[in-house]
Amino acid sequence: MNKAWKLMRVMVKMQLSMANKSSMEIFGFVVIGLMMIPFGLLILFFIQGIIGNMYAALEPLGNEGVILGLLFVMMTFIFCFTSIGTVLSSFYFAEDVESFISLPFQPYQILFGKSAVPFLSLYGLNTILLLPSLVFYGLHSGAGALYYLLAIIVWALTPIIPFVLTAIVLMFIMRFANISKNKDRTKVLVGLLGFAFAIGINVLLRLDSGTGDVAEMLTQQNALLELVTKFFPTAYFSSIALTDIGSWTGAFYFLLFVALSLGAIVLFLTVGQKLYFKGVLGLSGGKRSEFDEEKVQKHVKQQSLLTSLWQKEMRIIFRTPTFFTQIVVQSLFFPVFLIIVMMLDPNGPLTGWGTQLSEIEGKKVILGMFGITVVTLGINPASFSSISRDGKSWFNHLYLPIPSSTVILSKLLVSFFMNFLSILLLSLASLIVLKVPFTIWLLWFVISLITGWVASIAGLMIDLYSPKLNWTDEREVFKGRFIGIVPLALEVAVFGIIIFILWNSGLEGIWTVSSVLILILFIITIISQYFLNRMVERKYYKIV
Amino acid sequence: MIEINRISKSFAGKQAVKDLDLSVPDGKIFGFLGPNGAGKSTTIKMMTGILPIDEGSIIMNGIDVAKEPMKAKHQFGYVPDRSDIFLRLKGIEYLNFIADVFEVPKDIRKEKIEHLTKSFGIYEALNDHIQTYSHGMRQKIVVSGVLLHDPDVWILDEPLTGLDPKSSYTLKEMMRDHARRGKIVFFSTHVLEVVEQLCDEVAIINNGHVQFKGNMAEMRQQFKDDDNLEQLFLELTQNE
Ligand SMILES: Nc1ncnc2c1ncn2[C@@H]1O[C@H](COP(=O)(O)OP(=O)(O)O)[C@@H](O)[C@H]1O
Ligand SMILES: [Mg+2]
Repeated sequence: MNKAWKLMRVMVKMQLSMANKSSMEIFGFVVIGLMMIPFGLLILFFIQGIIGNMYAALEPLGNEGVILGLLFVMMTFIFCFTSIGTVLSSFYFAEDVESFISLPFQPYQILFGKSAVPFLSLYGLNTILLLPSLVFYGLHSGAGALYYLLAIIVWALTPIIPFVLTAIVLMFIMRFANISKNKDRTKVLVGLLGFAFAIGINVLLRLDSGTGDVAEMLTQQNALLELVTKFFPTAYFSSIALTDIGSWTGAFYFLLFVALSLGAIVLFLTVGQKLYFKGVLGLSGGKRSEFDEEKVQKHVKQQSLLTSLWQKEMRIIFRTPTFFTQIVVQSLFFPVFLIIVMMLDPNGPLTGWGTQLSEIEGKKVILGMFGITVVTLGINPASFSSISRDGKSWFNHLYLPIPSSTVILSKLLVSFFMNFLSILLLSLASLIVLKVPFTIWLLWFVISLITGWVASIAGLMIDLYSPKLNWTDEREVFKGRFIGIVPLALEVAVFGIIIFILWNSGLEGIWTVSSVLILILFIITIISQYFLNRMVERKYYKIV
Repeated sequence: MIEINRISKSFAGKQAVKDLDLSVPDGKIFGFLGPNGAGKSTTIKMMTGILPIDEGSIIMNGIDVAKEPMKAKHQFGYVPDRSDIFLRLKGIEYLNFIADVFEVPKDIRKEKIEHLTKSFGIYEALNDHIQTYSHGMRQKIVVSGVLLHDPDVWILDEPLTGLDPKSSYTLKEMMRDHARRGKIVFFSTHVLEVVEQLCDEVAIINNGHVQFKGNMAEMRQQFKDDDNLEQLFLELTQNE
């Protein structure tokens, strides 16, 4: 175990070290830190409000335990969900796995080390969400010191079981996935499967929650809690442990929870010892297949340089598991999720919601939708990884006779394409499910396209300003590079002012406001395009 | 004809190439010989536009590399010392990309891809991702890419390192053939023997300085006469 600790320290250091960060990135961290403060306060305020209200409503009926139950169910779900991405990338996608495997370590020791960073991110969430919630609950229930002591222990143990379950499921999948020939594609599929699984569970819970007579259950103590935690027994245990303090039942469930959590760690390492290497050995590498002459010939075709460059970028994004999950899945996950949830619930509260838009003032509708679009398209991983994605192969653009403008344009088109896909999906949702009026949709569509283009330029400029080419593992392109936030902050600032001015201006009517907005957006596009071109002239051939 | 006029390059205060002056005539295989870290790759990167030139100029077939980079880049084909090409592409996709860059017509590229990759023995691997290639195979696909657009000037940075004897022989034959057609082959190496087998002219570089330039007979004579060169001679022959 001593060895495992040492290994973990090395791994954490390698991934979180600030040593290689440019001053720009450190500045980014500080800005993020400052921006988080009001955000954090907002979350606290929000949590406090919800818990306060629920407590007031449920306590007289003796059902206040359901608050904790819901909380733990929610946390379990969030932990499982975030673990999918972090476990896959840390355990399987990271190329450093191979260098550790060649050293004399046991599989469980490597796993132990590799769990550290995913775990740390879970504890970050845990601290932001669960810790204040438990404290607020304690305050409302007037709990004593024992509650806080137990709550701290429960807090510390809560991430373990969801993490372990997710990790074990993924290790099983990867163990069998590793038999396949095209390793990269398999990794991508497993990632998608994980997300599909998460959506599936969500849907299942929604379908199930409609049953049962809530009114009747409210009269029986803890009946509601049992319903809420039906699929998450550990959430039930920890809720009882914190509500029945001082009783034998409470103590029993508390000990049960602690034992299960510790057992989970042992189970994780045991299963890992058996499965991990089977899934990870020989996993790196691309496709190796039977030779097929026709397939080769099919690829031989003449096309324009721009098309060729664009195609190359898209291939690299779709074939590199990390790029795929960070760029494609992340930008499309939210719209897809939204659509699936809405489709599955055809009579839900959101259906046909768009028809009410015609009753609101046109100006506010357009400006509101524009604001949402800015935030949704603002963080586009494809744009702020434009140059950095190439890594050590960037220099190939320099000796080939390819004009810098063509390369840059192809990269802009790639990130714009990603934005375009989200815009299309959101269009589907708004036209079919929300039933937004056609004219409003059309205006929003045009505005979004221009916004998407500006956002792509902003991200590209930031990446061009301080690209990270010297990576050995694709994750470094995204991890700790908070520069992704910088373009968003810029856009929110610039567009926020525009929205504010238009909102308060005397301009009325949907067409007037939209025309003015589109005109302003065009001007912004031209200005940013101009600055991009100047930056390309100055920087392009100096990136090494 | 390549004229390198007193170029210099330094990295963060450290001078990698100093006042380097060379002229490479047409129809010759020109060897650029020197131990590791001598400044060969740095010079070649300035010739190919990867690194900006601090001082001096490079004229390739009458075109100033720094002033008309696009035109100059159509003159040469370059094989880098490291095979960090686009690893996630398949071999065939890479070659087709290069052909698109140089606007090679479809039937010519088809015929050439087949001919070149077959003679290097990588035809059957064309459908695989370059990531799965060995170092030598990657070298071969890059060389195939260069030959695909038939440039006047070949610039090869340590091209024989990592190639098996058969492919090494094939490549050397191709180099000879290219020079015979009146074109230029400029390549770097840290192995004296290669230069002796292959070159018409040679320049020896050490610590960013050209220590010798001339033909093969002159080089042998110089090694005997010059004490400084003798030391270098030992460095270049002892290993490998
Ligand atoms: N990007 C760089 N940054 C700093 N120093 C460099 C860089 N590239 C090369 N050098 C230094 O320049 C010198 C020449 O290197 P190089 O041209 O690669 O030698 P070689 O003759 O082996 O190809 C070496 O001392 C090397 O350390
Ligand atoms: Mg070199």
